[in-house]
Amino acid sequence: MAKVNVKVCLGTTCFVMGSANLQELIELVPRKYGDLVDVAGSPCLGLCSIDWEFSKAPYVKVDDEVIKEATVEKVLAAIDKKLGK
Amino acid sequence: MFIDIDCNQVKKYNQNAYGDYFVSKRYPDEERLVAVLSDGLGSGIKANILSCMTATMLLKFVEGDQIPIKDAAEIVMNSLPICQVRKISYSTFSIIDINDDGLAKIVEEGNPDFLWIKNGEVMVPEYDSISSKTHKNRCMKSYRINLELGDRLIFCSDGITQCGLGNEKLKLGLRREGLIKIVLSKLEEEPDISSRELSEYIVRQAKNIERDRNPKDDMSAVVLYCREPRKSLVFTGPPFLQNKDPEYVEIFKNFKGKKAICGGTTANLVSRELNIPITMDKTISVGKLPSCSYMEGVDLVTEGILTLTQTLEYLEDGELNIDNAAGKLVKFLLDSDCIYFMVGAKLNQAHYNPSLPIEIEIRKNIIKKMKIILQDKYYKKVSVQYM
Repeated sequence: MAKVNVKVCLGTTCFVMGSANLQELIELVPRKYGDLVDVAGSPCLGLCSIDWEFSKAPYVKVDDEVIKEATVEKVLAAIDKKLGK
Repeated sequence: MFIDIDCNQVKKYNQNAYGDYFVSKRYPDEERLVAVLSDGLGSGIKANILSCMTATMLLKFVEGDQIPIKDAAEIVMNSLPICQVRKISYSTFSIIDINDDGLAKIVEEGNPDFLWIKNGEVMVPEYDSISSKTHKNRCMKSYRINLELGDRLIFCSDGITQCGLGNEKLKLGLRREGLIKIVLSKLEEEPDISSRELSEYIVRQAKNIERDRNPKDDMSAVVLYCREPRKSLVFTGPPFLQNKDPEYVEIFKNFKGKKAICGGTTANLVSRELNIPITMDKTISVGKLPSCSYMEGVDLVTEGILTLTQTLEYLEDGELNIDNAAGKLVKFLLDSDCIYFMVGAKLNQAHYNPSLPIEIEIRKNIIKKMKIILQDKYYKKVSVQYM
């Protein structure tokens, strides 16, 4: 089975709007899912400049799915869905 | 050509103030550097005040450029008061005024003669001798020499050349010959040694010669080194016109020197144009800043505005050893002599969202302030290109 790829945006907007608090993901995800999921930061996902009028930063991508106003819970839920749990 | 200058000093044993004083100032617009080393008579606070006054006045005098350096030095030589105790002039000085082409004007009064080292050999420059019309025992030497890439000048106070005076081995002290030996052997070992390291080395060696390593006089060593500048480039912000991206990335790619990228979007666009992947640490933030990422061929990749703002603060406060992205950028900038900024003018509307912290400033403003502080406080040559 292909790995689920999680990218946390660390661009300026996302970082100040809350991705700074997603460090927990980096530690929690490998513990919970082992090798099935890969989490990493990304310099910028480029979403805030497209979506600025209704800015919903911070953004996280779980494979191709964009999670707006991301929180640890939202991201975990999205991973669960991907893994069919 | 870049002039790398640094000074290292130790106080006389049992004193709480330096009796030698060193000042230097760079004038980037005139591509010029002026430096003064003065040795005040006696030691401690008194000597400190005397040398500080002499050096500061001379620097002000020479930088104004209204009268030639020779005349400025002569006026100071004639007007230096006489020490009540020793009946001799109350401070000595060496001045150097050098431009980036290597033309150096040097005037010395009372300090040991400077060393000019070219290709591992000590040169013997010609000089004019100017005697004071008012004081018999005062005489200054005025030099005009042309320095080339790789040349070094070494100035020191008599604390260095007279160290070890009265020792078993060195009855007359280290003297000029001893100093030359120390310097040349070090240069043979490390031909590219920086001015900071060489000046530290000279003072350390001189101190080692003294009995119990207690300096009997204030010691100062000033080293000047003419070398190729260390260049670096900081690419921050995407260009205003997107169709210009490849052009600017090409400039970035072909730059010879160290390279940094500050900005997530900027990193992405360089990665896209050059087809180099970006990798990141397994951390999100270090010390309230997003962590660095990595790209082959680029020395440092950081987030943009937050890191730049923090870097500016560190530079202003003189906090230079901090382990986060901004600390790394500080180190990157200070390890360079000439810094080029390529600043993209494209705005990200999301940064103007009122819910974002007020500290988020326009990139152009941050760079403008950074340029000023790098020039004025850290003597860097800085140029900025907006794109």
